[in-house]
Amino acid sequence: MNKFTGILSVLLALSFNTYASDDLAEGKRLYTETCVSCHGISGETNADMHLIVKPRRLKDSILSSNQMAKIISKGGHAYGAHSDIMPAFNYVYEKKQIENIAEYVSQTFNTKRDAKVKKLLSKSDAKKLDAKKMHKIGKKIFKRNCSLCHGLKGDGKSIYVEESKNNKEFLFPYDLRKTIMDEDQIFLIVKYGAHYWGADKEDMPSWKKKYDDTKLRSVAHFVKTKIVGTD
Amino acid sequence: MKKIVTTLCIAATLSVGLSAKNWVINQKGKTFIPSKLTVHVGDTITFENSDPFAHNAYTDDEANEFDVGMQPTGKETHMKVKSKESFNVECAIHPNMLLEVTVQ
Repeated sequence: MNKFTGILSVLLALSFNTYASDDLAEGKRLYTETCVSCHGISGETNADMHLIVKPRRLKDSILSSNQMAKIISKGGHAYGAHSDIMPAFNYVYEKKQIENIAEYVSQTFNTKRDAKVKKLLSKSDAKKLDAKKMHKIGKKIFKRNCSLCHGLKGDGKSIYVEESKNNKEFLFPYDLRKTIMDEDQIFLIVKYGAHYWGADKEDMPSWKKKYDDTKLRSVAHFVKTKIVGTD
Repeated sequence: MKKIVTTLCIAATLSVGLSAKNWVINQKGKTFIPSKLTVHVGDTITFENSDPFAHNAYTDDEANEFDVGMQPTGKETHMKVKSKESFNVECAIHPNMLLEVTVQ
């Protein structure tokens, strides 16, 4: 009986951790057909593609395959990007096909993502504060720093955007109300900056030298609870 | 006697006013140039912006507190050193920018 249970457990574990090879093969085919021209053959972006906004280095993405599938489906703009340079593919592909692409990216290029996120979160020395205190700290920093680019409402509209939009290299800040990320991911983006997580430039900088983890965690909490979903 | 004291006071005020300097700090490449400055009370610091995007210099130091607000490309802003306490100036948008101001 014990042996039988053991085999069953192994089979169950395998079924949870593996993705059908046919589906992965289809993901690879569709990625090569569609995504490779911008994101490159190995998820490092295609250096020959001269776009105003350089595509993300998918190998460094903080997004899970589920989150990637949503962005592939509805496009970057639906989740806060200023432009629709990452277009929606739900008009082109079926839901399952899109999931296959996302899974292919996660399992082929972005293989270290889970371990990296886990390690960085475990390194955080943020103190546990009650929600009210986090809100107060987060709101103050958001107003002092984040709102200058993302706007007081987090909608990506600010004086900074107005003053800088003639700069050809300027990248427009995200509409945070639409972000797909959870609180941990927001914390890691704020702490390490967007470039670390696959953005071409350091327009969303790393704030780790300026604020400690407790404060950065409070900012992430404020954004997640008071900004996201308010559009 | 009163007249002498008054004259001396005026002279002292004038000499401080005359010796007050204006220091120019350029913001270029997301850096304050120079990044260290030694000033006296009464001096003025002028912030230039040569970057193709806006900056927002400020300090949280209470004695010399200031916030120039959003400063577009090509515009100048000024702050006066009010207290003899040294302070740091940062940019509210670009967290790696730091200007260390020593007040003598």
